[in-house]
Amino acid sequence: MKKTSLVLGFSLLLASAAPGVAADAARGQEIYMKTGCYQCHGTVGQGANTGPKLAPEPLPLESLIAFVRNAAATAMPAYSAKMVSDAEMADIHAYLGSIKPPPQRKDVPLLNNP
Amino acid sequence: MDKAPSGVNRRKFLTAAAVSGAAVAATPPGPTGEAAALGVATPALPPTAAQMEAEIGQPTKIAVTMAEPGGRPGSDFMVDVLRALDIEYVATNPASSCRGLHESINNYAMNKKPELLTATHEEIATAMAHGYAKVANRPMGLLFHGTVGIQHATMAFYNAWCDRAPMLIMSGNHLDAAHRPPGVPTTHAAQDPLAIVRDFTKWDDQPASLQATAESLFRAHKITMTPPYGPVAVSLDAHLQEGVAGKDLKIPRLSRTSAPTGDLDSVKEIARLMASAQNPVIVVDRGARSHRFQPLLVELAELLGAPVVDQLGRQNFPSRHPLNGTDRARGTIGAADVILGLELADFWGIVNSYSDIAEPKQGRRLKDSVKLLSINSREVFMKANYQDFQRYQDVDLAIPADAEATLPSLIEAVKSALTPEGRAAAEKRAKTFAEAGVKQRERFMSVDALYGWDASPISTARLSAEMWAAIKEHDWALVSRDVRLSNWPHRMWNFDKPYHYIGDSGGAGQGYGLGAAVGAALAHREHKRLVVNIQGDGDMMYGPGGIWTAAHHNIPLLTIMHNNRAYHQEVMHVQRVGNWRDRGVGRAAIGTTIEKPFINFAMMAKSMGVEGIGPIGDPKELGPALKRAVQVAKAGEPVLVDVLTQPR
Repeated sequence: MKKTSLVLGFSLLLASAAPGVAADAARGQEIYMKTGCYQCHGTVGQGANTGPKLAPEPLPLESLIAFVRNAAATAMPAYSAKMVSDAEMADIHAYLGSIKPPPQRKDVPLLNNP
Repeated sequence: MDKAPSGVNRRKFLTAAAVSGAAVAATPPGPTGEAAALGVATPALPPTAAQMEAEIGQPTKIAVTMAEPGGRPGSDFMVDVLRALDIEYVATNPASSCRGLHESINNYAMNKKPELLTATHEEIATAMAHGYAKVANRPMGLLFHGTVGIQHATMAFYNAWCDRAPMLIMSGNHLDAAHRPPGVPTTHAAQDPLAIVRDFTKWDDQPASLQATAESLFRAHKITMTPPYGPVAVSLDAHLQEGVAGKDLKIPRLSRTSAPTGDLDSVKEIARLMASAQNPVIVVDRGARSHRFQPLLVELAELLGAPVVDQLGRQNFPSRHPLNGTDRARGTIGAADVILGLELADFWGIVNSYSDIAEPKQGRRLKDSVKLLSINSREVFMKANYQDFQRYQDVDLAIPADAEATLPSLIEAVKSALTPEGRAAAEKRAKTFAEAGVKQRERFMSVDALYGWDASPISTARLSAEMWAAIKEHDWALVSRDVRLSNWPHRMWNFDKPYHYIGDSGGAGQGYGLGAAVGAALAHREHKRLVVNIQGDGDMMYGPGGIWTAAHHNIPLLTIMHNNRAYHQEVMHVQRVGNWRDRGVGRAAIGTTIEKPFINFAMMAKSMGVEGIGPIGDPKELGPALKRAVQVAKAGEPVLVDVLTQPR
């Protein structure tokens, strides 16, 4: 219940944060690097032992923002709107969504050897 | 008794020679004269007896005593002691306070057993001894200058202490203030030279005679090789090294010393608790002292159907064994009703959680009913100051004993304690656990590894897969930790031989990686194994001279740079605090990254006579580069591949 309210709240906030400005994947990549997301999640959001996979198929934007803002209780430090605005989060989300799906294992001989 | 005559005042006349320009000027033509012409001081060259008498009025017999070719130097006797201790190598950075022993190794031992290994820094030499010991299961000797040499090496001693690595540290000192040379030798002399390392060595000594030196070195060897292993240090007086050895000196016999084992009643109690558990789990850290450990742990785990969570302090358990629960640690430990910890560095960290957040949270993650059992040699011996013993964890039964030595009796006790029903339950548990493991491995290889597969910088999964393809047909060994590669090698590679892996630094002190890899590779050399070192860039820059040592001593080693161009752990720490304080992370790179300029490690390797390949940022170029590098290493040479990688 609390989570739903939270997500809804951020969703409304987002709608008012950047009216009429389309999310930009290229700008999102720049912000993703600048704000250090890649340090734990990798430059293409592939994930590591320091942070989970983010891309492709990122969380819905509202959920992503809600997590980032309220991550203080997890291993990840929270990012306030002062550090990454909702509009910038939308750009990051667009970047993560633009990352191509990985190849299939059957097409990667290296992963088919014992 | 040491019969070095009291009149052996070499330092006295050297002092006099050093301060007397007239003595130098009066020297005859020849090497000394040439040196003088070049303006080089020649205090180390003994003046003639006549010069001695003329200049400082010393009796001629002193100079004759020191120059007499028939006199047996004390340091020759020290070589005999090291040979009796079967010390094969002595790593050194040369030093005047050790020159007697150094010369004896060169000219008396003819640089064979022990053979000197030249290191460009005492920290590198110590890391070499550290890596060597974990492969060879024997100590390397170290020979350092007193004071400054020991100060250089201290961090590496601490790593070895935390990691329980045996090594025999020897340092020079001019003990007798009345006879030591003035100037630098006196600056570098100390009344208690090993005090600085006493908190993280098992034992140290400063013997005052040659006989005491022999006994001290034997005692040191016995202590370093008695579990729990750890570094020991002996200060060798320069006067004893350079003086004459008496005729009545005796070299002790090499004692066989057993490891401390658990008492039978306690072992039986642990067996009873494990055999009657519904979900017994074994957690192991620095379990394997030798190649005997892994098969013993496999036998115990299979008897009990108990998953093993490996903290990867050593090659404890095969990575692909159906009961390996390392990648499922949290769930596996969370499901346990009895946990047996074997040589754990941090049992508290297994049982409790700690959240590194702005207001840290900590607490027990397991139910109070979970029984905790421990076999740990660390409890036999620990010191107070440095906190490597970690937080205190109460347990239900602790056996202060060596796990490897205790496992045989524990296995027999478990066999006796298991009922037919218990054996059936163990088989069922093992089957269920193995099935889940197959699914997890499938997920790693079919899903997780593929994300970022074609990324540049190169993903750690791609790097690990390329490395595995390059080495798997060879008899290989990994001599570095892979946690900074998100553990991909342990997920992908088949670690099943006791020598496949040796763990990490122990104390997390940077500067361990390359030196330890060179030392480990030296120990592997006689077995002609392909030795792989995954080398962090930050760690490399503490002791890059290890590259030169590998080249100089023809030590084959394949070093693959995990070059993420940062002290990555610290980037994340600064980011974290910036977030807590709501001040942003934009400046987290200040003081934490290694860029502007980037370091070209391939060029660095080439500058030291080692083939360097890269830097490689395109994953398509990685396979051919590694293939070439393996060829070089198999031909007996060190080689380095600089790979630009994702952070983790």
